[in-house]
Amino acid sequence: VIRFVLNGGPVELEAADDRTLLDVVRNRGLTGTKLACAVGVCGACAVLVDGRLVSACLQLAGLLDGRAVETIEGLGTPDDPSPVQRAFVEAGGFQCGVCTPGQVVAATALLREEPKPDDPTIRRWMAGQLCRCTGYASIVDAVRRAAAAPAPEPR
Amino acid sequence: MTLSLSEPEVRIDGLDKVTGVARYTADRAVAGALVARYAYSSVPHATVRSIDTSSALAIPGVRAVLTGADARGLRVGRRLQDWPVLAWDRVRFAGERIAVVAADTEAQADEALAALVVELEPLPAVLDPELALGPDAPILHPDAERYRFLGPGPRHPVDHPNLQGELVVRKGAASEEELAAAFATAPIVVEDAFETGRQHQGYIEPHGAIVTALPDGRAEVVTTNKAPFSLRLQMAATFDMPVELIDVDSAVIGGDFGGKGLSIDEYVLLLLSRRTGRPVRMIAGYDEELRAYAPRHGGRLRLRTALAEDGRILAHDADLLFDGGAYAAAKPLPELILPGGLDVLAPYDVPVVRIRLRTAYTNTVPGGHMRCPGELQAAFAGESHVDRLAASVGLDPVEFRRRNVVRTGAVSAVGEQIRRPMADAVLAELAATLPAGLPPDTGAGIALVARRMEGGRQAVTIGIDDAGRVEVVTGLPDQGAGLHTMLARVAAATLSVPATRVVVRRVTTSAATMDLGVGASRVTFIASRAAEDAARRLRAIVEAAATRLAGGPIALRDGRLLGSDGAAEVAWTDALAAIPAGSLPVTGSYDSSTDEEPGVDFTFAGLALVAEVDRATGVVRILDATFAADTGTVINPIAHRGQIEGGFAQGLGAALMEELLFDEGAVTTTSLADYRLPAATDVPMLRVIVLPDSPGGGAFGAKMAGELSPSTVAPALANAIEAATGARVRTIPMTPERVLRALRERPASRSGADPD
Repeated sequence: VIRFVLNGGPVELEAADDRTLLDVVRNRGLTGTKLACAVGVCGACAVLVDGRLVSACLQLAGLLDGRAVETIEGLGTPDDPSPVQRAFVEAGGFQCGVCTPGQVVAATALLREEPKPDDPTIRRWMAGQLCRCTGYASIVDAVRRAAAAPAPEPR
Repeated sequence: MTLSLSEPEVRIDGLDKVTGVARYTADRAVAGALVARYAYSSVPHATVRSIDTSSALAIPGVRAVLTGADARGLRVGRRLQDWPVLAWDRVRFAGERIAVVAADTEAQADEALAALVVELEPLPAVLDPELALGPDAPILHPDAERYRFLGPGPRHPVDHPNLQGELVVRKGAASEEELAAAFATAPIVVEDAFETGRQHQGYIEPHGAIVTALPDGRAEVVTTNKAPFSLRLQMAATFDMPVELIDVDSAVIGGDFGGKGLSIDEYVLLLLSRRTGRPVRMIAGYDEELRAYAPRHGGRLRLRTALAEDGRILAHDADLLFDGGAYAAAKPLPELILPGGLDVLAPYDVPVVRIRLRTAYTNTVPGGHMRCPGELQAAFAGESHVDRLAASVGLDPVEFRRRNVVRTGAVSAVGEQIRRPMADAVLAELAATLPAGLPPDTGAGIALVARRMEGGRQAVTIGIDDAGRVEVVTGLPDQGAGLHTMLARVAAATLSVPATRVVVRRVTTSAATMDLGVGASRVTFIASRAAEDAARRLRAIVEAAATRLAGGPIALRDGRLLGSDGAAEVAWTDALAAIPAGSLPVTGSYDSSTDEEPGVDFTFAGLALVAEVDRATGVVRILDATFAADTGTVINPIAHRGQIEGGFAQGLGAALMEELLFDEGAVTTTSLADYRLPAATDVPMLRVIVLPDSPGGGAFGAKMAGELSPSTVAPALANAIEAATGARVRTIPMTPERVLRALRERPASRSGADPD
C-alpha cells in the first residue's frame, strides 16, 4: 500500500496502482490540475510534491509513498484565496484560465524558494508554464505583486 | 456613473479560475460516461478497403466500435459540410478519423484500437496548393456537388474541382485590361512573393465534448465549441433533426483563437451514445490536436504594385493562395475563403486594386480559422512589400507610409467608406519611438494594419435574481477574452449600479436567445450594445417602480434610487418588490445593419520594434517593441491589455517559432515539445499606446482589440531584419535557418519566396 498526503489529508493507493498523479487527483474530483500536453512541457498539471514543482502528468502516483502533495485546491478557495491567487486576480494574470492553476502553483513554489525574485528570475522560473492568452506580462506582474504582498499567516 | 470605465477592475470569473474551481468540459463528471478514442489514417490519401472490428469488439469493457460504414453520408462543416464524421470510402489526410471505440476506460479503448485491422490502399497525394490546381492533379472531392451547403444560397461556383473557394475583388478601374494598362504605364512596378507556414491555435485546452443521446430523441452536448447555436444548427443539418432536439452547453472554454468554432467529435459521440445508451466523452490528446483538427492555413502570396515616382501607390494586384487542406469544413464564410486576405494593403489609399483570394484542397490537415484568419498572412506579405516599395523610390518606410495611408474620405478595397481613419496618428506614434543610430546588425521595423469591425445581431436578456442582483443572461460562452465581465460592466455602468450588484449567468442553447457566438472580434461591439439596450430597459422599469412608490420622479444614481433633490430615496429592494409581475426579464438587442451612420468602423494599429540579428546563428532578438492602436473607449482595461499583449505573443510565435512540420503529408510536430509555443522567456515587454478620440460603434464608444496585434509582428520583424542586415526574409516563421539562408543569399535574391 502506498500512503501519501494530499492537500493535508491522507491518501492510500494499492501498491500496484500504475496511474499518474494527475489521474489520481482528477479522479478524486480535484480537477483544477489540468491535462494538456501530457509530455511535461506545458505546466498545466503543475503540483507541489514536498514543496517542489512537479508535472503531475509524468509523475507515477505509486512512487509517492510518504510524500506530501499540494494541488491548486490546497492553496486557497474562492472565499479564501492565497496571496498568490489574489495577486493573479488583481493583476489580471489570466484569461481563459486553463493554464492558471499551474501558473499559481509554480509561482507559489518560486516565492517559497525566493520570496523577492527579480523579473528575469520570474520569467526563467515561469518559462515552464505555457500560457497562450496573456503574453506573460500580466503573469509576471501577478508574481511581482504577490512577492510584494505581506507574508501570509501560516495556513 | 458609479463605474468609471477606465478604472482597473477584476474579472468576474477570476476567483474561480485562480483557485481551480472553474469547470471546463474535461472537468465535468457525467455518471456512467464511456470514453471514446479514434483510429486515424496514417497516410494522406487512400481508399478505405476494409476495417475489421471483430477482435476489438471482443475486448472486455468495449461497448461499441464504429467505422465509416456506420456513418455513411454524415459530413460535418460550418458552411460546406465536406468532412466525413468517419471516413467511409476514402481518407484525404493523415490524421483523418477512420474508426472510433467507446469503452468503459481509456485503456480498454486503446487496446481495442490496437486490435483493429485496417486496410487502406494509398492513392497519389496532393500536398501543395499550387500543384492541386494543376490540370492533372488528382481530384480530392469528386462528389462535391452532393455536399450540403449551409447557405444563404447555393455554394459559389469554382473554376477547378480542387478549389474550395475563390473571391476576386476589384476597386477602381480594374478590369483586366485597365489593370494591365495601369501597370504598363506606371514608372515603377515592384513584385514580391511570400510564403507563410501553418500555425496551430495552441489553446492549452484541447477540443473535447460529452454527448448524451436521450431516449426521447433529444441530445445533450457539453462542448468546448465557442459558438453553441452554430454547432446546434450544423449538427441538426448533419443528422437531419430539428434544432430543438439538441441542447448545446458550451462550458468554460480554455482558449479558442478561432479553433473552437469547429467541432468534429460531437457527431461521432452522438452516434456512439445512441448505440450504447450511455453518455460518451472524448477529450483530445494534444497529439490529436496537432494533427487532426484545423490549424491556420498556409499561404502563397504574390503581390504587385505600381508606383508614381513620388511614391504614391497607383495600383495594387494581390494573388493569395491558401492551403485549405483536405476539407473546407472549418471555414464559416459562404465564399469559403479567408476574409483577412482582403486587408493586404488595408491601411493605404489605393485607387486601383485587384485582390484574388483562393483556398485549395490538398491532402493535408484541414485549414481552419485562427485569430486574424488570412489577415496575418496578408499583413506579413503586405507590410514587407510596403518596405520594399519605399526602398524602390528611395523613401524611408515611415515617409512612404505617410504619403499613402488612408485619410478622411478614403474607401476600402471592397468599397466601404472608412469612418474616422486614424492611420496617420498611429504612424506618428510609432515613428516617434524609432531610434536613430543603431549598433551594427540591429535594425528598426514598423508595420501597420487596419481591420474592419464586423457587425451582426445580438440579444442579451437581463433580469433580477433571487438575491436582488441584476442578472445578465447570455448564451455566449467566454472563451477567455473576458466577455462576461464586459457584459457586467456595461450593464452596471448603464444602470449606474456597482459592478458587485451585477451577475452574469451563461445558459445553454435551449434557454438562451439565439446569437452568433464569439468570433471575428465582434462581441465587444455588438454584445455591448445589446447589453446596454437591455440595461436601459431594466433601468426604466426599476425607476418607474421607485417613482410610483415615492410619488415623484426617482432616478438611479451611483447605485441609489434618488429624487431630483437628492433627498427622497427608495430602497433598491422596495423598488424591486414594486415591479409589476411579468415585466422581467427584459431582452435588449442590437443589429449593426440598422446603424444609420454611413461607412464602416476600422481600427488602425501598428507595431514598431528594434531587433538584433545574430549573423552566426540566425537568431533574432527583439530589443524594444511599441504597439499603437485606436481601440476607442476601453470598457475592460485588464482584458484590453490582455488581448493586445497576448496577440503580440501569438504574432511572435507565427513570426519566429511556430510551424507545423510535415513528412509525406503527415504532421510530425505532434507534441508541444516539438511544436514550441512562446514561453515567458521568449516574449519581450511591449509598450502599448491607445490613441484617444476615436470612438467606435460599441457601447460607450468601444471598439475591438482582439485581432490587431498578431498581424503586426511578422512584418515589423522582417522589416527590422532587413534594416539590420539588408537581408529580406520572405517566409514565416523566420526560423534561424531561414534567416541564415536570407543572409547568405543577400542581395542576389530580391524576389521569390524562400525555397524549402
